[in-house]
Amino acid sequence: MSRSNTSFGLQTSPKHPVSLKVNGDEHDLLIEPRKTLLAVLRDTIGLTGTKEGCSTGDCGACTVIVDGKAVTSCMVLGVTASGKEITTIEGLASEGELHPIQQAFIDTGGYQCGFCTPGFIMASKALVDENPNRTEEEFRFALGGNICRCTGYTKILEAVLQAAEEIHTNS
Amino acid sequence: MSDYSVVGKKLPRVDAVEKVTGAAQYGADIHPAGMLYGKIVRSKHAHANILSIDTSEAEKLPGVRAIVTQDDVPSGRRVFATDKVLYLGEPLAAVAATDADVAKEAAELIKIEYEVLPVVQDVMESIKPSAPRLRGDDTKDGPNRRNINAKIKELSDADSGGNNDTIRKLQAELDKYSDEIYYNISAETHTEAGDVEKGFAESDVVVEDTYVIPRVHQTYMEPHVSVASADSSGKVTVWASTQGPFAIRSGIAGTLGIPLTQINVIGTTMGGGFGGRFGVIITHVPAVLLSQKAGRPVRVQMTREEEFLDGRPAPGCVIKIKTGATKDGQILARQALAFWDSGSVSGASIGSTIRVRGVYKIPNIKVDAYGVHTNKSGTAAYRAPGAPQAIFAGESQLDDIAEKIGMDPVKFRLMNMREEGDAVPAGGSEPKVGYKETLEAVADAAGWWDRETDDNQGWGVAVGDWTNGCGPGGVYVSVHEDGSARIFHGSMDITGTDTAITQIIAEILTVPYESVTIRRGDTDSAPYSTGSGGSVVTFTMGNTAKLAAEDARRRILELAAERLNTNEDNLELKDGGVHLITADPPKSISLGELAAYSLSTTGGPIVGKGSFARQPSTPALAAQIAKVEVDPDTGRTRVLKLVASQDVGFAINPMAVEGQIEGGVVQGYAWAMMEEMQYGENGNVNPGFVDYRVPTSADLPTVESVIVEVPAPNGPYGAKGVGEPPITPTLATMANAVKNAIGIRVTELPIKPEKVVDALKNNGQGA
Repeated sequence: MSRSNTSFGLQTSPKHPVSLKVNGDEHDLLIEPRKTLLAVLRDTIGLTGTKEGCSTGDCGACTVIVDGKAVTSCMVLGVTASGKEITTIEGLASEGELHPIQQAFIDTGGYQCGFCTPGFIMASKALVDENPNRTEEEFRFALGGNICRCTGYTKILEAVLQAAEEIHTNS
Repeated sequence: MSDYSVVGKKLPRVDAVEKVTGAAQYGADIHPAGMLYGKIVRSKHAHANILSIDTSEAEKLPGVRAIVTQDDVPSGRRVFATDKVLYLGEPLAAVAATDADVAKEAAELIKIEYEVLPVVQDVMESIKPSAPRLRGDDTKDGPNRRNINAKIKELSDADSGGNNDTIRKLQAELDKYSDEIYYNISAETHTEAGDVEKGFAESDVVVEDTYVIPRVHQTYMEPHVSVASADSSGKVTVWASTQGPFAIRSGIAGTLGIPLTQINVIGTTMGGGFGGRFGVIITHVPAVLLSQKAGRPVRVQMTREEEFLDGRPAPGCVIKIKTGATKDGQILARQALAFWDSGSVSGASIGSTIRVRGVYKIPNIKVDAYGVHTNKSGTAAYRAPGAPQAIFAGESQLDDIAEKIGMDPVKFRLMNMREEGDAVPAGGSEPKVGYKETLEAVADAAGWWDRETDDNQGWGVAVGDWTNGCGPGGVYVSVHEDGSARIFHGSMDITGTDTAITQIIAEILTVPYESVTIRRGDTDSAPYSTGSGGSVVTFTMGNTAKLAAEDARRRILELAAERLNTNEDNLELKDGGVHLITADPPKSISLGELAAYSLSTTGGPIVGKGSFARQPSTPALAAQIAKVEVDPDTGRTRVLKLVASQDVGFAINPMAVEGQIEGGVVQGYAWAMMEEMQYGENGNVNPGFVDYRVPTSADLPTVESVIVEVPAPNGPYGAKGVGEPPITPTLATMANAVKNAIGIRVTELPIKPEKVVDALKNNGQGA
């Protein structure tokens, strides 16, 4: 029982000033060094779309994009994210329009309980942004850091492939 | 396929947008003003006497607002251990603090003095006299002792002394079975039909084996969580991640002595349940106790590690099973003796042992099942509770029989399956179920009849059955002035059920799917609803929704008759309006116009009510085929093909039904090949995703699903519950495929690579 929900088990210590750019908004915060980026996003900023599934970096539910790369935000200390650009699930749709990956998850039934979905969508977005032109096998392997317990992955893969093709075609 | 316009269609789910944008509110997303963070203090030993609990240091930590122990539980129902702990992670106290990390620090400052006791983790050890007694000294007789004791009782009851010699002989015989005095038994159940001894004697082939199935965790992605807020008037509000808010309400009321109407349970969006989300004391009761004491809202949220230590997973079990058949393939007898690992409490699906019967005509059957205490947390339901374990044993053994008599495993099963009109064990006769159709469908889709295998490849087949439950529920539907309809009910959406209810109501009201919205109420506002488990929701709430929509329809036609000044017989509801069929030119009035008109009538608005409890359900069959390739050097099994068919009665939303099949199959695959909660001398040793591996997308190919529709007489549009059946046959499907590939029957799950390598080395011995 060594891990708490939110910290790396560090003791209380003075708060540090941190500047985060989240979904385009600047946040100047004072946070304890032991708070994870996940805890800062959820508890301090109030963006609860990013989920906590394991607190050990193994399930991918807390995946956000930091400076273009998908990271598990439970494995990052909030203080170390200062000055970085962060995109969460809440920042994906623009002007009321869903991102093609979000739309594809709806069209294919690529989610059930939805708890892993924000993490899956963010991990997929980072992959597709990097290179939408991947095979199903490549996507299967690349999404191996995200756990879904409901879908059996069949429809998630369908969704990602559908979105990747659309994005590839339009790029 | 059907004449329906909304049901039977692959429509996007009603919760689609909130689920893909992060807007859906799960339990841990609830944050009332002034909320404190709770943390449960857990035992560091698997079996120990508690000598003392000292909270004084924790109380001094700045930010700590409340600490509760069993002394705070008025009913005395065990929420926290007091004198003794029975498993690693058992709750001893709980703290609430202004910050999650402070709560955790405080929990670590609570000093517990233990006197460590011997531990027993294996059911076969726990039943022996040498095992530590976990909950008193109850012993039970095994099957042979039961038989002998029954004979003794019969003779003593019938006679006044003439049978004394026989009785003495029988008593001597009892002594031969002294190893059949089982210790640490939490429950038992016994079923018998026909005469198994006679059946085995008449059989040409008899196979007997012992199967071992591990304890696995439901591993819903959202760990247990609740937020409780007790106000100064005594009113308690609980935001609960649960499958059954009404059951949680009564559970809290009973445990804490709070009147039912003083408790409001608000079900939050559920991050998976699979049967494991009905528990009352896991987080809900501690959260309420802390909030009552602190006078502020409190959230208690488990970590993943706590889930593995103190969740309520699926029980493991050991099943000895024996089957006899004639050489031309008729199953004559089956006997099973099962020991289910119920952990520290009773329960553990022991009643499901009878599922070794499957869907076959077996004239002679006998089942003895026991629940056995071990130093583990209690267990709960997991998707068709008990069925995957029993069916794994039954369907594995069927394949071995088929092989011995030289019959194709699919043909062997088809030949023995029950048919419509056959007598069923529970009485009455077998309804029309697509047993054979479903098995034939999967065989055709997988290419079974002309299957090809390269070296180290194999094919496996198995079937599993399950019958959805049903329970009480209520639904209201209102039609508004803009022609839209709103549904109000109290059942938790279990990944698609709200969508099914919405489709049913749109179908009956003949309005577009998009114009019907659904709202779930809390226990203060919504009509009672049964819990969302046991595949009940689409069956129960679907029927309830139909009744509500039909009630609304009655009012709609009544209003239209008034408005159009005609008789209801001349009216037809279609395309979102009521049409006067006798008029020329045609005359019609829209639902919106009728809803607006209703507001100025004496009879009032269009509100349909549906209330339903139960009708007989019809069994559902899941049939699956896997093709695998086993690497003899590494022991790794790769799935090349996994095809699953299921008789769903009628697929109200085929996309959601496929999703249920695919998800269930992958959970079954994982139980067969990967998952196992492991226990050492001091409890669970793999409480995290690194050591407890669940499958990812990298582990499996696409699951192909095949929907078979043989309507259930009492289901809405013929629908059956679809959630549970798909997990039931997969364990055996995988084991049968591995057997076919390497020629070795693995009887102990999971089929991990090291087990396969060892089995190959030992040439099948000790698998």
